[in-house]
Amino acid sequence: MSGIEVQGLGKRFGDRVAVEGLDFHVRPGEVFGLLGPNGAGKTTTVRMLTGLLRPTEGEATVWGHHVDRDGESLRKVVGLLTEQPGLYDRLTARENLRFFMKLHEMDEAAAWPRALHYLERFGLGGREAEPVGGFSKGMRQKLAIVRTLVHDPRVIFLDEPTSGLDPESARTVRDAVAELASEGRTIVLCSHNLAEVERLCERVAVVKRRLLLMGPVRELRRAGQALDVRVEGEAERFRDALASLPFATNVLAEGMRLRVMLEDDAHAPDVVACLVGAGARVHSAVPSQRPLEEVYLDLLREGRS
Amino acid sequence: MSFRPRRALAVFWKDVLDLRKNLGLLASMAVLPTVMVLVPIGVVWSYVRTPNHADLRSVALFYDPSLPLGASAARFLIDKTLTDWFGMFLVMPVFVPILIASQSVAGEKERRTLEPLLATPITAAELVAGKSLAALVPAVLITWVAFVFFCVGVDLVAWPLVQMPLMPDALWTFGVLVLAPLFAFFGNGVAVLISARAGDARMAQQLSALVVLPLVGMVGGQVAGFLKAGLLYYALQGAVVLVLDAVLLWASIRLLDRERLVSRWG
Repeated sequence: MSGIEVQGLGKRFGDRVAVEGLDFHVRPGEVFGLLGPNGAGKTTTVRMLTGLLRPTEGEATVWGHHVDRDGESLRKVVGLLTEQPGLYDRLTARENLRFFMKLHEMDEAAAWPRALHYLERFGLGGREAEPVGGFSKGMRQKLAIVRTLVHDPRVIFLDEPTSGLDPESARTVRDAVAELASEGRTIVLCSHNLAEVERLCERVAVVKRRLLLMGPVRELRRAGQALDVRVEGEAERFRDALASLPFATNVLAEGMRLRVMLEDDAHAPDVVACLVGAGARVHSAVPSQRPLEEVYLDLLREGRS
Repeated sequence: MSFRPRRALAVFWKDVLDLRKNLGLLASMAVLPTVMVLVPIGVVWSYVRTPNHADLRSVALFYDPSLPLGASAARFLIDKTLTDWFGMFLVMPVFVPILIASQSVAGEKERRTLEPLLATPITAAELVAGKSLAALVPAVLITWVAFVFFCVGVDLVAWPLVQMPLMPDALWTFGVLVLAPLFAFFGNGVAVLISARAGDARMAQQLSALVVLPLVGMVGGQVAGFLKAGLLYYALQGAVVLVLDAVLLWASIRLLDRERLVSRWG
């Protein structure tokens, strides 16, 4: 069984194209990152994959359910954490969760221990009888996550799951995501927190109306190797010399440090030779991978140009 | 597409729970029944207090110039008040669901709870059914309870003059048991429809509440002597509202389409 299969998926609202020609698949047990700037079509894509919006082109299946034809059965197997927690303030945490158990036609007595387990896990144990209106932003977010999981979904869409959470709670959520994936669930993570995406996701897709790039995080980072060089004196003096190298895609200088982006890390000795030739005294040269954030921002810049 | 009553009942359960905790809304819901019960009791009491006042006969003759000389003008006016007031009483089952359904439907949009709700297996028909039940059941119950107080109050104040119970009579019994639910359904349908399009609950309430104006206008026509109310008159109103109910139900299910709601409000 495939987690998610997407082929040529697109959505138009009248004349406006929100998303077009998306192709990707996500395996069961995989945490997949869906990245893109605001308005890039991530939410529209998630809404199509959860049966909330009908695609205007292409097709997709989620856990074997066709998104256009099997809406009701599809929504039984997906869990969606929206950007806003969307809770009923006058109701207690327990009543909020019971409502969603009822909507999923679950045996509440049997399902409650599972909810309680997640409440405990996210630090909400003992607070289930309190009205949600009195909860802090972080508590509301955690309760919304519990609500997403309460019906035991096979495919989980998480939109900014750690938004508003303190570092400890964010860590708990990240651990839970990894654990859910290890149980064989498919997880799609939409986030602007690229460090989090880097930590959790095996593969990412960058979307800006269409698919800009997709691949394993490790490979994306390797796509632009960097060499961090420490020289004596002002590094800026050597910037032009390095920039003239055909294999150096970008050079950044700050204080005594230079960061040289390379097409291939095999060129590292050439960089050092170039610096020495230009009169630099090199203290250290360490190859490093670019953070996902840099790769992502470059990609968006290229997309714009 | 299947219809699962359990899911509709889940929406009903949640909305009723939410309503019970919404003290502001409960208070505003209590005002109308209080007025609807106390005003006619006060009018009947004023006739009973001075049954032989000469002006009463003049008023009675305005409505019925053929009123026999020996007939009690006070009794005639009490009967007319009770018949005419039923038209006003019907405002209650229309208005109460408007208060509830506007909060319930437009409130989902305001609180951003609509998207998580629509991401569950619930269908548009189940959502409409659950939300409608949560508005209709309290509205009909309030109408029935108000009716009981109304009957007791009218009979108590009218007893010294008529020496017999006047209420409940055939018109009111038929009206409260049959017409009130139909009118409540109408008020709910209008509120659901408008709430699905309005920006917030307050706007939805204000716009939906305009539908009571024709009802009030008809009562005005009765008081002015242009319209003569009776069992047939109210039955005719009920038939018209029944047709409107069917149209509103169809339109509500269409308008509460998942895609339409999500793309507008999600």
